[in-house]
Parts: sequence; C-alpha cells; structure tokens
Amino acid sequence: MVWLVQLVAIIVMAGLAPLFMGIAQTVKARLQGRRGPSIFQGYWVLAKNWKKETTAPEFSSWVFLVQPSISLAAILLVVAMIPWAGMVAPNWPHNLLTIFFLLALERFWVGLAGLDSAGTFGGLGASRVATLGAGIEPAMFAAFGVLWALTGGTQIQSIAEKVSLLLWGLAVVSYGLVLVAELGRLPIDNVDTHLELTMIHEATVLEYDGRLLAEAQWGMALKLTAMIGLGWVWLSPAVPSLWMNLLLRVLEVAATSVGIGWIESRFTKLRYFQLPTYLAMASGIGLLAFYLMASGGLN
Amino acid sequence: MLTWGILAVGTITSLTAFKRNLTIYLNLALGVAIVGLSAAGLWGRMQSLGVGPYFVMTPLRAWFLLVVGLVATMAAWYRLGYRQHHETSTSFWLPWFIVSMVAVVLSQTVWVFMTAWELMAITSFFLVITYHDRPGVIKAGFIYLVMSQVSAMAIVAGFLLMASALHSMNFGVWALKAQYLPWGVKSGIFGLLGLGFGIKSGIIPFHVWLPRAHPVAPAPVSSIMSGAMIKLGVFGVVQFLLIDLGPTPVIWPVLLLAVGAVSSLLGVLYALMEHDLKRLLAYHSIENIGIIFLGLGVTGVGIDRHIPLLVSVGLVAALYHTLNHAIFKSQLFLAAGAVEQHTGTLDAEHLGGLIRSMPGVALGFLLGSMAISALPPFNGFVSEWLTFRGLLLLATHSVGLWAVAGLGVALVLAATGALAGMCFVKASGVIFLGQPRQKVTNYQIPRSMTVPILGLAGLSLVLGVFAQPVVQVISSVEPGIGLGAANAMLALKAGSIALLLLVLVGALILIARISTVRQVPRWSCGREVEPAMQFSSASMTKAIRTTFAVIYRPHRQLIRVGDYARDFPQQLIYRGGTTPTWERYLYRPGYQLAWRLSQYTTRIQAGPVRLYLTYLLATIGMMLLILH
Repeated sequence: MVWLVQLVAIIVMAGLAPLFMGIAQTVKARLQGRRGPSIFQGYWVLAKNWKKETTAPEFSSWVFLVQPSISLAAILLVVAMIPWAGMVAPNWPHNLLTIFFLLALERFWVGLAGLDSAGTFGGLGASRVATLGAGIEPAMFAAFGVLWALTGGTQIQSIAEKVSLLLWGLAVVSYGLVLVAELGRLPIDNVDTHLELTMIHEATVLEYDGRLLAEAQWGMALKLTAMIGLGWVWLSPAVPSLWMNLLLRVLEVAATSVGIGWIESRFTKLRYFQLPTYLAMASGIGLLAFYLMASGGLN
Repeated sequence: MLTWGILAVGTITSLTAFKRNLTIYLNLALGVAIVGLSAAGLWGRMQSLGVGPYFVMTPLRAWFLLVVGLVATMAAWYRLGYRQHHETSTSFWLPWFIVSMVAVVLSQTVWVFMTAWELMAITSFFLVITYHDRPGVIKAGFIYLVMSQVSAMAIVAGFLLMASALHSMNFGVWALKAQYLPWGVKSGIFGLLGLGFGIKSGIIPFHVWLPRAHPVAPAPVSSIMSGAMIKLGVFGVVQFLLIDLGPTPVIWPVLLLAVGAVSSLLGVLYALMEHDLKRLLAYHSIENIGIIFLGLGVTGVGIDRHIPLLVSVGLVAALYHTLNHAIFKSQLFLAAGAVEQHTGTLDAEHLGGLIRSMPGVALGFLLGSMAISALPPFNGFVSEWLTFRGLLLLATHSVGLWAVAGLGVALVLAATGALAGMCFVKASGVIFLGQPRQKVTNYQIPRSMTVPILGLAGLSLVLGVFAQPVVQVISSVEPGIGLGAANAMLALKAGSIALLLLVLVGALILIARISTVRQVPRWSCGREVEPAMQFSSASMTKAIRTTFAVIYRPHRQLIRVGDYARDFPQQLIYRGGTTPTWERYLYRPGYQLAWRLSQYTTRIQAGPVRLYLTYLLATIGMMLLILH
C-alpha cells in the first residue's frame, strides 16, 4: 500500500509540475492587469520544444549534451525522496541531507554546461548560479534548524503540532526566504528576463533548445514543486490517511504557486550584490529558531 | 620480517635509480607490497608476519598504511608515462620517502618514530626541490624545510613530556597509561603535539608551506605528498591525542573544531582565487584537512563528554574522508601533471577545450571534481554526509549557545561544500571545456598515465557506492567505538541512490537522443566570435572576490601610458590580486623578529677562537663546580 501511494505520488507530482509553474505565471499576469497565458501553457511549451530540432553550440562537448539529463535525474530523485503521503516505503532512500547533496549535483552540472557552451552567457550564468549557491546552501541548512533540533537527525517529519507558533513562524519565514532564492524567483532572479545584466538561471539555458531545453524546463518546474512540497511536508500538519495527505500536499503546492505569483508582482529584483545580505538574514532567522529550540525555552 | 623486507626493497629501488623502467617497476612492487601489508593488518593476520620490537601493526595503523600504499602504487604506475627533468633524482629519493612514511605509521617507539619522521621530512624536501634550477623552487623548499623542523621540534617536545610523565618511550605503554595522566600534563602534550601534527597536515594558520611546496614538485610527488604525507599528521592526532590521551579538557576538541572550520572555509576561499591548477589543488588539500579535523573534533567532544555515538560517527567520518581525499586528490594531481605535460602550462587563463585533445584525462579530472565536491554517487559524498551527521549530532547533544555554535560549524561546512563545487566547476570548466584560449603545444598523453587516473576514479566510485562495508571495516579499526556510525549510515543508502541515479540518467539520455544533435554557431549578440568572450578563471569568481572582500583585501591598479595618458592612453597596464594576509601580518613580523633577535647573538659569537676557548673553559669549570 505504501509503495503504491509512493509511486502514485511521484507520478502525480512529476506530472503536475508544469501546471504549478503555469499557475504562478497566470496569477502574476492577472495581478499586473494582463490576461496572461493559460495555466496549461507549461505543457504546450514542453510539447513544442520536444518536437523541435535539438542543436548544440560549436566547441561544446558531451558535457553540454548530458547535463539536462543529469540535472533532471537529480531533481526527480529529490521528488522521489520526499514523503508526500506522510511516510515513505520501507527501504526507500529518504533523508534530508542527501537532498542537499542532490541539489548540489544539479548546480554543479548546470555550471559545467554553462562553461562548456563556450559563450559569454553560459559562463555568466555558471558564475552567478554558483555564487548564489554558496549562500543558499548554508541558509537552507539553517532554515531546517527547528527540524534538526527536534529530530536530531535527518528524517523529514511534520513539526507543526510539536512546536510553538513563534518557532513555527520563524521556520516558515526562513524557509520561505531560502525557497525564493533557490527557485530563482523575484526578488532574487526574474524568470521572464533575457537581459544579460540581470538574468541568472536563464543564462545557463540560453544555448539549449529542442529536447534538451524541454528537459531543462521540466527540471525547473519539478524543482519548484519539490522545494515547495518539501517545505509543506515538515511545516504543515500530517493527516493520518495516506491518500488524503497526498491530496493535501497537492493543494498546498498549488496555493503556494498562487502566492509566488503574487510576490512576483509585488517586488522588484534586488541588486545582485545585496543577495548575500538577504541570505544572511534567512540564515540568521533559522539559527535564532534553532537557538530558541535548543535552549528549550519555547517549545 | 616483512618490514625489513620492505626496507630492503626501498634500498634496492633507490640504488636502481639510473635504470628508468626497472626502478619504476620496483616502486610499483613496493606500493603493492604496502597495500598487501595493510590488508593483512586490517584482517588481523599480523601475528604470523613477525613484527619486531620496533614496529607494531594495529588496524588503525593498517588503515593509514592503506592510504600510503594506494597512493604510492598509482603514482608509480603513472610514472611509466610521465616525462620529467632530473628524473634520476626523483627515482633516488622517492623510495626512501615512501619507506619512511611506512616506518612512521608502524613505529612502536619514540626513536623509530622520530627517525622516520625526519627522514620523511628530508627526503620530501629533496623531492620538492627536484626542479632546483627553476626560479623560486629553492625558496619554496626552504620554507617547507623550516616548517617541517618546527613541526618536528614541537613533536619531540610533546613526546619527551609524555615520556617523562610515563617513564617510557614505548607507544604500547603509552596506550595503556596515558589516559591516567593529570590534566595539566595532558594539556601540555595536546598543545605541543597538536602544533606539530597540525603544521604537518597544513591546517590554517600553519599552511603557508603547503601551497608553495606541493605545486613545484613533479606531479607524482605532489600526489603522494598531498594524498599521503599530510595524512600522517592526522594519524598522529588520532593515535596520540584522541585514542591514547582519552578525555582531555574540552577546550582542546573545541579547538580542533575551530581550526577545522577555519581551514575548510579559508582553504576553499583561497583556492577560488588561484589560476594555477596545482596551487588550486594544494589549497583544496587545506580545505579537506579542515573537514577531517571537523570529524576529529566531533570525536574529541564525544570522548570528553562520554557520548559513544559522537565518538563513533566523528572518527569514522574522519578516517573515511582521509582515504577518500587520498584517492581523489592524488587523482586530480596526476591529471594536473598530465595537463602540464600535454600543454606545457598550468595557468588556467591560457587553457581551454582540452576535453577534445585528452578525453581520458578530462574524464578523470571531471570525476575527481565530482568526488571532491562531495557529489553522489562518489566517495566524498559519503564521508561529508557522515561529517554533517556528526556535526548535527554534536549540535543536538549540546545546549544553548554551544548548540548554535555546533550548527554554525555545520553551516560553515555547507558553505565550504558549495564553494568547493564552484571552484571545481571553474577548474574543470575553464581548463577542459569550451574553446582553447591560446595556442599551446599538444604532446600526446600515453595510456599508462590515463589508466591510473581513471583507476582512481573507479576506486572513488566503489567507495561511494559500497559505503556500508567500508564503514564496517573502519568501525573495527578501534575497538569499542561500536556500531554508532554503522547505524547512522543506514539512513544513507548510498547504493540505492547510485543505482537510481544511474537508471534515471541513462533513461533520460536515451530519450533525449543526443547523437542526433546538430552543431550551430553560439549566440554572441551578433558580434564576431572569439575565445576571449568566454568566462575566465578570474571573471568566474569576481562576485566571490567582491562579497568576501574583507578576507581577500583585493587590490587593483590601472596604469595609463602615453603622452595624454589621462584622456587618451596609448596603452593600459592592469595589475590585480589579493593580499596574502597570513604572510604579511603573521609570518613577516615573526621572521623579522627572529632576524633581529639573532643579531644579538653576534655579541657573544663574534668569531675569534680565543673567545670560544674561554667559553669552553668556563663551561667545564662550571660543570666541575656543580658536579663537585
């Protein structure tokens, strides 16, 4: 039974990922007074790119060609390791630390492929993604502070009923800040831009097209789903029924996509050199929550 | 007997230095023999091998012997194809260097240990100055020699303190009695030995010799020094400070954690600013020694506070990372040597696109980069995962601000990991990928150089996938550390992750049909395409240089040349760099102080023989007076 739910959860989440991306884009357009694309636009784009011819820039090597597959595999594995239904199947790899390492694997190959494209934009994106990553990884580690203090280990479980509202609030804020940075949404990075002065993630996929671009885009959508879902798995209460739990997570991720669309239309992009301050703030809040938890005063 | 056998092989190998292939094959045999010896030690079959009164074999020593043996074997194999100047000199000193490392690991008494330790320092000094006719090499060698001697003096002082307190020079006696020493003596020993072994492992702030000495040596020597020699400092800390001394004042393990955190973060930050591949790798050795020291610090805190789980996880993480670092770092150094032989330079700003002219070495470097960046499914992932686990356990077993400090160290390690990933994206991307930046020579790399590099890559993959058995072996290294680490490892499931990754990547590459991809010109905003458009090693890390300006203190200078230089310069000269903080603010004043103090000695040591005769007479008179 657990195996079945797990399998269904992976398929559902992987399949719905472009939809969640589309929801954020549509909400953003509506709030800006535009009609915007349909929420299913993500699927049409994927289908279009899959049918187009795939090309690679001159001087690129096999690294450029295999990167989207490796990055997508790493993100798919993250999706597979999240306990969407409240628990994972026995003997299935499931732990939080490994998720960090898988995200690092994705970032490493994105950077490599950027340099392999032998153009200016790839290197620019590689440099920016890696620099941001150096701030995001410790900040994300800090954001999970309450979870570390509570479980003492690497299990992902719900903390909602176990900590006070203040601690829960701090955890939500610090994870939310890191989430926006990791997903590359405003105010960190603008997903709609193609201006070389501002783009971060777009620069790394600039030379891709066809099937490889489709893989990269699906990976982006999956990452959005995985990171938001990972947040809800430990921040929202768990429901006893496995299927209800899965349904709850789907609704939560959809609602968060609406929230991201709202944030994107409210904030402008931060200056690149202000991002370390932003990430230090997120780490600080996480560490504060961990301190309150570890000193035992407030739980 | 086997030990004497290895000594004999070392001597013979040294004496055959003039026969190129013979000496290399003997070196190879020596390496394989060391691996065999360590395997015998790990499986507990040493009694039958007749270890004399001067040497001893324990599972811990066998583990470090394995590190030495593996690196020595691969370096010898690689030398079959490696062409270098002054090869006879390397062939003469290398066997002695390896034999002295074996003797350090197996020594049973202070005398054997110190003799072997000094032999190791001297032989490695001669190996470092192999290219003594190149500028700067002799100076680097002397800095290394001075630091080695400071290290040896601190170790002798610590050993003598321990020996006088225990009335024995035998390490076997120390293992039994040292834990009952009073805390004052223990603190003295910890401070002196920690200093000595710390200098040898290259932790910050005693690291200045490492990025100078490692890069100037021939590649096989660099790989042995970085892979095996600096690990003997770790061996000293584990054997004498953690296992023998037992509980100490808790400040010492906390100090281990602090230097570990500082070394790992600063090591990788300095590495990011390097454009010379071998110097970059040398700074990464400092970073990885820092990570090993984090594991040792966790162990130390566990010993002091009697938490077996911490002892187990920390020690296993440190020992695992010791072997892992030996493997992927020697792999990377050997690949760097191949790059130098292929192109004649190691400066990343002149290279690029080497993946087309040396695909095997490029693959080896790329896999080594993944391993050192702790990416699944390679071995660095497992040991860094365990180190994180140890630090988290440390944090949750502490209260209040100590807990926050524990988590803070974990955050430092997270930042280090991300920066290391960036540094190796830079190194492999700028050197092996993209378009060549300049025209360089294209000397063909023989297969005997590529195969050891790829062999080490395979080894690091095996150690990353079959993690559980390896942890079982390490757990048996020290009796009583128990199953804590093995149980903690159960959550990892490194094998399933590797399998899932392999299946997913394979399936995705298949459906992407990458063989049908057509090559087209790259996007350059309509401008003429040229190699200088690519990101370079310096521009890749520009944002890091700005963000951490407080550490780097970057400076740049723009000189305009010409008649109307301010407005119409005919030529621009740009110089930029970072400030060598430790050298300028710690070592330079220290060196000047020593110089000034030594000038005072000229007052009593002016040169005339009559003066010295007077001193002699006065000394004898005073001795007679005291003895009378």
